[in-house]
Amino acid sequence: MGKAVEFTKINKYFPGVHVLKDISFSVEEGEVHALLGENGAGKSTLLNILHGVYPEYEGEVKLHGTKVHFRNPNQAIVEGKISKVHQETLVVKDLTVGQNITLGYEPLKGGLVDYAKMNKDVNEILKDLDCNFKAEDIAATLTSGQMQMLAIARALYHKSTIISLDEPTASLSQKETEALFKVVKKLKKDGVTIMYVSHRLEEIFQICDRATIMRDGEFICTLDVAKTTRDELIHAMVGRSVAAVASRLKPCRKQDEVVLRAEHLTGDAFHDVSFELHKGEILGFFGLVGAGRTETMRAIFGADKRLGGKVYIHGKEITGSWNSTKALRAGIGLIPEDRKTQGFLTLSSNIDNIAISSLEKYMKGAFVDPKKTRANAERYFKEMDIHPNDPDYLTKNLSGGNQQKVILSRWMSTDADIIVFDEPTKGVDVAAKAEIYRLMEDMVEEGKSLIVISSELPEVMGLSDRIIIMCEGHINKEFNRDEFKSSDEMLDYAIGGN
Amino acid sequence: MKQLFDKYKREFIVLLATIAMCAIFTIMNANFLRWSNFLTILQQMVLNSILAVGMMFAIITGGIDLSIGCTFAITGIVVASITVGGGNPFIAILAGLIVGALLGAFNGFLVNNLKLQPFIATLGTMSLYRGIAYVVTGGQPVTNVPDSYRNIFNGKMFAGIRYYIIVMIIVFVIAYIILQKTRTGAYLYAVGGNEEAAKLSGVNTVKTKYIAYIICGVCASIAGLVMLASLGSAESTAGTGYETNAIAAAAIGGTRMAGGRGTPFGTFIGGLMLAVLKVGMVVINVDSFWQYVVTGIIIIVASYFEFIQQDVQAFLARRKQG
Repeated sequence: MGKAVEFTKINKYFPGVHVLKDISFSVEEGEVHALLGENGAGKSTLLNILHGVYPEYEGEVKLHGTKVHFRNPNQAIVEGKISKVHQETLVVKDLTVGQNITLGYEPLKGGLVDYAKMNKDVNEILKDLDCNFKAEDIAATLTSGQMQMLAIARALYHKSTIISLDEPTASLSQKETEALFKVVKKLKKDGVTIMYVSHRLEEIFQICDRATIMRDGEFICTLDVAKTTRDELIHAMVGRSVAAVASRLKPCRKQDEVVLRAEHLTGDAFHDVSFELHKGEILGFFGLVGAGRTETMRAIFGADKRLGGKVYIHGKEITGSWNSTKALRAGIGLIPEDRKTQGFLTLSSNIDNIAISSLEKYMKGAFVDPKKTRANAERYFKEMDIHPNDPDYLTKNLSGGNQQKVILSRWMSTDADIIVFDEPTKGVDVAAKAEIYRLMEDMVEEGKSLIVISSELPEVMGLSDRIIIMCEGHINKEFNRDEFKSSDEMLDYAIGGN
Repeated sequence: MKQLFDKYKREFIVLLATIAMCAIFTIMNANFLRWSNFLTILQQMVLNSILAVGMMFAIITGGIDLSIGCTFAITGIVVASITVGGGNPFIAILAGLIVGALLGAFNGFLVNNLKLQPFIATLGTMSLYRGIAYVVTGGQPVTNVPDSYRNIFNGKMFAGIRYYIIVMIIVFVIAYIILQKTRTGAYLYAVGGNEEAAKLSGVNTVKTKYIAYIICGVCASIAGLVMLASLGSAESTAGTGYETNAIAAAAIGGTRMAGGRGTPFGTFIGGLMLAVLKVGMVVINVDSFWQYVVTGIIIIVASYFEFIQQDVQAFLARRKQG
């Protein structure tokens, strides 16, 4: 059998970051090949190169022995016969299944769309895949499992010989997952090559032949799944020693005063979450994407609705209608995961971005005094060493790390003493990362209490006094700092083990 | 001074364009420069500018209010009915303002509590409020508004300046203070710039948007009060289509349609430019139909200019960063 995909010395740079380093490996024709690694290991970047999303890279990609270089995803699908099924399937909900599958390449008759042929062709594919929906159905009526099938059907419509599945089961039920696996096995029998990205290790053992592991943009190894144990796999994925990245110089000493307590908190994406946060501690929340950590914190902060459960802040239960303004007044701050859409105000200068949550401090009578907001911003610019050193600059034009420092300044300007950091170092370079860790430790020294949501194990393990591990909307395990042993164990709890 | 120019660059450019327009009209007809003509321009801009500055508040939060022309009409009817019936003119004015605030608050309710798109919500209230105006009056105008009311706005001070000019200036000064000096102003810009980020910064976005729509409604009422004073009668059809002129004035003055940016100064200049255009075309005897053509071109050019300006700014920012 030949090689379906061959990567040779792939390098990829983003401004200031070397994201893929000399990646070389190959995927056999007709195998199910897993691509594994932590968040940020470079799996998505590599798939994006393969599927023409990133046309600029160094190195060589061969499909079935022929060198290719796709300029866009469409070219990859049509000319390369290679399709990607996204984590969040891209579906135009108002169109029919048939229209979605043939979108852009509809069968024509005399210049008009030949719907009879479209539906006939599509229904044949759907029947082949054993789907319980028809080409004529409106896409909006499908479940997420059916939409996944729709995406696979689209790949087959384009006669793809290679299909990538990126976290295909992330939003599927157990039954839908089984149906998907049946399809994967059938495709394999028909000679289609599958590249499979998933965090759920048991799936890898169920359906994959081989697995390639990536870490920090590097190729680590390709393993024969049948000859590998789960522990070996996890160890290869996590690899490095934890303490080298983030570390606590002064771990919290006493943990007696409870500043925040959640009891049986329930919302759309989480259920029965109970925990306590102590004064002066850093409480880590680890879990995979979609574990419900962000949603839990947003509910506590009043950004989303709570469906049940109680929250006590400084011993006082929150009652009545709860919103972010009240949360701020009660002393809670939240530094969101996505700086661009949730963090800074797009059209505002650094001064205004820092001042927005603490305007009552800069008043002169009934009016906001611009001198005071400026003085406040200048103070933090100096303390945090923000570049370029221009408080009038628009925050959106700063680099990720500096933007994060601006948002940190915003919350340090308030009186909030409970601060939730959601992925605080996402998209932040190494130097700024270290500074943010130092600032967090300073905040704890001052008696503030922090919650850190992170998908980076070294980060949570390095920083936290305690770690709570969430999995699929509930708390699966809690560790005290002296119980932190191996990252393998943590990852195990995050993927549902116990 | 440089700082002032940087902040109001867009506004100054529109002002320069307006002055250039005046120069052209003057060359074509020297009568354009008369004091009386200047007064005409000011009077011409009063209604549209007051409506536009209110509209600007809604737009700054990322919304819009299509119902202002109807609020304008209802206010006229309410105030006319009270004063014709012998009521105290000042109480009538207060009642008119309350009506504007309530109608604005209802728009706020639809946008905030029912989470309707502002365009659709106020398209609905536009028809709803207009319908109320027809139903209440039976389609008949309310006439013979007493002078005791009319003189409050219509009376002349010196040099032929009427009081409503002063009213307009006060409205703009208050708008400036709210937007540039108070916390509410900062929140209004924050909500329009990035609502989710504003919410996660602890800004009460619901309250902020309510305030915007209430201010918009009150401004429409103030314009209605002025209109009633100068005409002496109220009609249920009054103000039809005024919302588009208000949007035009705000847009020409640099208000960002997606929210987050806009100044009273800019909207004032936008209103001024439209008034200069209208009066100038009459002075040089251009067919009034052509006014529509020219106004349309100016709106398009002004929006395109906004677009270019953002590119230039992004370019400069990149160069500054190296």
